[in-house]
Amino acid sequence: MTEYFGTTVADIFATMPKRFKPEEAKEVDIAIGYEATGEGGGKWKATIKHGTLKVETVEGELTDCKTTIHTDAETFVGVTLGMIGALDALSSQKLRVAGDPKFLMLLLPKIFTPYVAPAKKPDAVTARDIIATLAERFRPEKAEGVAMTIGYDLAGEGGGRWTIIIRDGKCAVREGLADPLTVKMTMEAKTYAGMMVGTIEAVTAFTSGQVKIEGDMAAAGATAKYFRKYVVPGATEAEELISLRVTNSIEQRFATGPVMGRWFAGIREKKFLANRCPKCGRTQIPPREICAWCRVRVHEFVEVGPKGVVTHFDIVYFASPDPLTGAVRDTPYATVYVVLDGATEREAITVDLKKEDIPRLKEGARVRPVWAEVTTGSYRDLIGVELDEEEGSL
Amino acid sequence: MKMHVKNRNVAIIGIGQTSFSSHKEDQNQAEMVQEAVIRALADAGLKIGDIDCIVHGNMELFEMQFAPDLWHSLGTGAYGKDEYRITTGGTTGATLVCAADNLVASGLYNTVLAIGMEKLQEGNTTGGITNMADPLWFRNLQTGALTGTTAQEMIDEFGEERAKRAAMRYRIMMDKHAMLNPRAHRRFGLEYSQMEDLMANSPPLVGELRLIHMCSQSDGACAMIFTSEEKVKQGTKNPPVWIRDHIQIHREETIPNLFGFNKPEVTHHYAARTLFARNGIQDPVAYFDVFEMYDPSAWWAVDWLREFFLLKGDEHLRMLEAGDFDLDGRIPINPSGGVIASNPIGATAMLRPAEAALQIRGDAGGHQIKKEVRHALASGFGGTFWSVLMILEKELNWQEVSHD
Repeated sequence: MTEYFGTTVADIFATMPKRFKPEEAKEVDIAIGYEATGEGGGKWKATIKHGTLKVETVEGELTDCKTTIHTDAETFVGVTLGMIGALDALSSQKLRVAGDPKFLMLLLPKIFTPYVAPAKKPDAVTARDIIATLAERFRPEKAEGVAMTIGYDLAGEGGGRWTIIIRDGKCAVREGLADPLTVKMTMEAKTYAGMMVGTIEAVTAFTSGQVKIEGDMAAAGATAKYFRKYVVPGATEAEELISLRVTNSIEQRFATGPVMGRWFAGIREKKFLANRCPKCGRTQIPPREICAWCRVRVHEFVEVGPKGVVTHFDIVYFASPDPLTGAVRDTPYATVYVVLDGATEREAITVDLKKEDIPRLKEGARVRPVWAEVTTGSYRDLIGVELDEEEGSL
Repeated sequence: MKMHVKNRNVAIIGIGQTSFSSHKEDQNQAEMVQEAVIRALADAGLKIGDIDCIVHGNMELFEMQFAPDLWHSLGTGAYGKDEYRITTGGTTGATLVCAADNLVASGLYNTVLAIGMEKLQEGNTTGGITNMADPLWFRNLQTGALTGTTAQEMIDEFGEERAKRAAMRYRIMMDKHAMLNPRAHRRFGLEYSQMEDLMANSPPLVGELRLIHMCSQSDGACAMIFTSEEKVKQGTKNPPVWIRDHIQIHREETIPNLFGFNKPEVTHHYAARTLFARNGIQDPVAYFDVFEMYDPSAWWAVDWLREFFLLKGDEHLRMLEAGDFDLDGRIPINPSGGVIASNPIGATAMLRPAEAALQIRGDAGGHQIKKEVRHALASGFGGTFWSVLMILEKELNWQEVSHD
């Protein structure tokens, strides 16, 4: 298999089941097709349905996929490892997505843990080698007052059965399994070695059933802290670069003031209230304390609308998050600029157009407001606009 | 007309940039700032002790890191010095240069260091822009700087085929420039033969604005050092580049004000005609040797060339089609690859005068314009069509225009 960035496309798919987070994919029902061209490439299909994942290689055409990803093998590995920016690859057309690219951006990071390329050297290290270093890696200062016996039953090459005895600030390793044990862990010797050298994540190995734990679960979780981390002999450890992850959620409250506040008071009554500049006559929406063009106070309120004309519009395909809710927007949607009847020519408002009306949208279309059932004096009172076709002015 | 009166002349004497990328996990913000500052000081042949005042800028809202100038003082050297902080959206970097220019011109400080930075990978730019688009209304619909309205207007005015080809020609030209600039973030190696394919197949974002048209989100920093004419006369390591004049202006209160029945005079046009008039520049295309323009998307870029150069009808398209804006063309645009290639927002608008100044010095490296560059134009853009426009000169010999 041809390697890129130290790993192969096949390994990325082979590790998919291990990296899958079923609890995040409960609502998901999608088949994703992958085509990686060139050396070391191939075709794969990942079917994710209500918390289950099926990964298969595909000969011939990729069929029944909601989204398919087409790229060369090197770009695929690079993007997966984060060595190549996904947006950069999409922009340069080295990576193409048929179907909705938002799945690539938003869904995949949610339902899979990131792929990590396997380290090369540690493959040679066996479980037996690692067990042999346990006593010298013991940290008595962390194990004060701890008394436990831990059994390892490690199958396969380089495996065996061992008992680790921790008592009175000392650690001893014996061949065979003692009875009784505080906790017993059963797994492939390769899995144990992988966890110790950091190529296999312990939680994932346990969650996916590769590690069986009998006895005191908490004791099994605690073992790591009694020992210094295992280091592969001769390996120079890459410098650890920690990134801190933070999600901000901030509640905000903005005063509207007595002038702009009239706009919100108006839409609560399903009315659009602008204020008219005494000098230039423009109807400001939302109403403002002064007219910035004329630098004079504005006092007169006028009702405009409720219907209006579409002057410009944007059909949005990019699924950006709604900052007010954090939810990903349902695309495509249309943002329309509307000059309400009676408003002056530059005083447009921006609103959402009813989704079903998008195919018939044109500049110059007449629209009418769609109000929320319960209006509270918020921007949410005006859900958007819909085409006003009865007037036949399309 | 009111004159922008300058108390004394100001020169750019030091420029430092980091590389621009979406992967700077090996540096924190202060370390990234330090990299640019060290390079600017070395370029100027100065030590931090020679700096009288520091101006710092980025968009706090993007990284959501409060008062970053405090943390960044590890990299800026601002500890115990006078410091100002600037945050004006996309224009931040250009405003930093305007502020540094003003601080030196006023006579309050002799030598000022300005720093613009952003680590966009640490935050959410589109979310940030969306959140600040309007304080009280329309937020639920905003998509940051993504819009297809300019594309639609150009298609309406020039026809679909010609408009789409113009935007894509501009995009590929920028990539060709970026390929010559090793610091640029996105260097795809695009060819003009890919035009039709990209026009049809690049994923659409909004209307005819496609992914390939839009600028990157980058990490990076830029630092520049400014000093007075008196100091320059005592000698500089590299040739000084003079800031002849700048204008920073905003005229629209809300975005929908731009999209009524009639199109208002775009702020860029207003800024350009005001600045050129007060400097006696009749024909900007003939006068300038390079224009480093803040080009957030290929559509905006093509449209704005008409506004900034005060062109009429399809003059800008004809110039683009004739190769006038190419690196070896009549008036090269963005030899650096522009914002489309590299966009660390707080530094982005500073990179425009920084790159323009390097062109004047002849120090741009692989993307240096072959013919001599004596007069340079640089722009910044942000928010509801804010515009910053700046004239840089090689020689201190321009004619003052008299105003009454």
